[in-house]
Amino acid sequence: MRTTLPLLLGFIAGVFAFGELYIPAPEYRVVFEHLRDFAQILASAAFILGGINVVQVNYPKIRRREEDWPYKVVMLASALIMGLSGVRWHAVGGERESGRVLVSGTAAAAVPARLRVQAADRDALVVIDGGLPLRAWHDGEPGAIERAPGSQPLELDLAAGEHTIAVSKPVNGYASYKTTLVVGTSLAEPTSAAATRVAPGQLATVEADLVMYWGAQSPNLGRVFTWLYDHVFFPCNATMFALLAFFIASAAFRAFRARNAESALLLGAAILVMIGLVPIGRALSPVFPEIEEWIMDVLNTTGRRAIMMGAALGAIATGLRVILGIERSHLGAE
Amino acid sequence: MAERTDWSQRLQNFDRRWIFVAMGLAIAVPLFYPLNLPVEPSAMVKSAYYTVESLKPGDRVLLSLDLDPASTPELEPYYRAVMLQLKRRRVRIVIATTWYAAPPLVERWIAETVEGRIIKPGDPSYQGVPDDPYERNEDFVWLGFREGREATINGMATDLRGTFDNQAANGIPLVQLDIMDGIRTLADFDLVVMVSAGFPGIKEYIQQAQGRGNVPMVGACTAVSTPEYTPYYSAGQLLGLVGGMSKAAEYEKLVGKIGTATAGTDVLNFGHMVVIGAIVFGNFIYFTGRRRRRRS
Repeated sequence: MRTTLPLLLGFIAGVFAFGELYIPAPEYRVVFEHLRDFAQILASAAFILGGINVVQVNYPKIRRREEDWPYKVVMLASALIMGLSGVRWHAVGGERESGRVLVSGTAAAAVPARLRVQAADRDALVVIDGGLPLRAWHDGEPGAIERAPGSQPLELDLAAGEHTIAVSKPVNGYASYKTTLVVGTSLAEPTSAAATRVAPGQLATVEADLVMYWGAQSPNLGRVFTWLYDHVFFPCNATMFALLAFFIASAAFRAFRARNAESALLLGAAILVMIGLVPIGRALSPVFPEIEEWIMDVLNTTGRRAIMMGAALGAIATGLRVILGIERSHLGAE
Repeated sequence: MAERTDWSQRLQNFDRRWIFVAMGLAIAVPLFYPLNLPVEPSAMVKSAYYTVESLKPGDRVLLSLDLDPASTPELEPYYRAVMLQLKRRRVRIVIATTWYAAPPLVERWIAETVEGRIIKPGDPSYQGVPDDPYERNEDFVWLGFREGREATINGMATDLRGTFDNQAANGIPLVQLDIMDGIRTLADFDLVVMVSAGFPGIKEYIQQAQGRGNVPMVGACTAVSTPEYTPYYSAGQLLGLVGGMSKAAEYEKLVGKIGTATAGTDVLNFGHMVVIGAIVFGNFIYFTGRRRRRRS
């Protein structure tokens, strides 16, 4: 039973997936899509399994202080930090607002309404009615955003009408705060239900404390996750790939030897393709790109096709063996 | 005679770190002193370019960005060139990825090149149609990442909306987006553009989707993968293929905006010469050593 049931399940799933290409019935497709969803869920669950496996393999080696154990500590710590930065900590216990509007003072028709921005972040930028950004904290010139933030809060007069105020940070990974102020008492209904009415003479204080996002969820990628991706993962990943140039040059020097006619042929073809691929080949002679194209289009394509067809036939044969229960190695059999 | 023996003996102990120095110089020097050799687009690259160029305004394209940061030097130049071309043609774009390491990179590219401008206004090096920013969820939509590799691509080929839980990456239901009207499977797109660094990528899209719905596809890949995908181009399953940085430079020339691939091609010129030199020099040492061993 321990082998019969998995074999039976494998047979049914295999035959069913095979039939999907030939049976256009919608009911059949619905079941097939469920099966495919299972496959996607299993693939995602493999990440959890992989994480557990990494700990299982490396932790005992660290405990026993085996060779290169400090690297394993770095690896586990990095995985843990990256994993933790992917959790939406800012949303634990409910997401909080990034700002609010307070209206103070008494109305006075002859005095214009004023706006003051009190941002908790020194580098916050304020955009009023979609205009150019202004510094929430400035040194006398709020429009000079290329300068460092100053100590004066942004404060200006507001004309009668509806105004949109947006406070944001110049870096990704933070919430922005947007609000609408309607200045004047005799105006029509504001376009936004959440708008705040401000009478002439009153002071509208926009208090902003922009929430820092955590997590790796689009579109609000967390600050820490983004920073780690941009400043650790990206350069390390790119560096490993860039080192290939040196490894290839070293391997070319040490290993590419014309020991016999076949390897000499391979070397000759490699050199011709390398010359023909780059503009210097064309500059040396227009024949090189033509030779390169011929090698790629004729020799490479022919060989590749043969390999691909052979591999496809092999995959079909293996698939049939699994479906029919002849191949049992995936069940732990010899 | 003794002198010659010493010389060939010394060659046997050649320090390969000199190869690293030569490669380092081959990479660094052309960046400061470019050769600027002329680039001539090849047939595969021209085919990829004209396939995109044949799209009409309002056509819909799926752009699959299946890559990671390591492959950006080779693939980002093509991405930028083809994105400029798509925006110039006012084509609507649906973006997705099947690589878990891609989303933060793709989000940045979207902000810089789709919602922003690839060509800054007044750029003297560019003479073409202006590059206007696209509106999210109107001109383009970002579906995000789904794990499942071939299963995901197979899902896109049969039920694209279901594969992405019927919502865009920012949670907006796809049913609310005009850009997704009538899009059920990959076959409903006017073109699929793949920027692929490996598995899953071009090969899996062809295997799972191209044959099923005769989906028109063009792709860009790393240079090392080019020989693997060339047969698909020869068979007509791929309508164009841009393989590696040198081919991306050819694409940049066709699009009319010189970018990093053109500068990088100078590095390739010298880099390839260093590798060829290393092969020739390595064989020279090998044969002198063999001759010496036979004599002794």
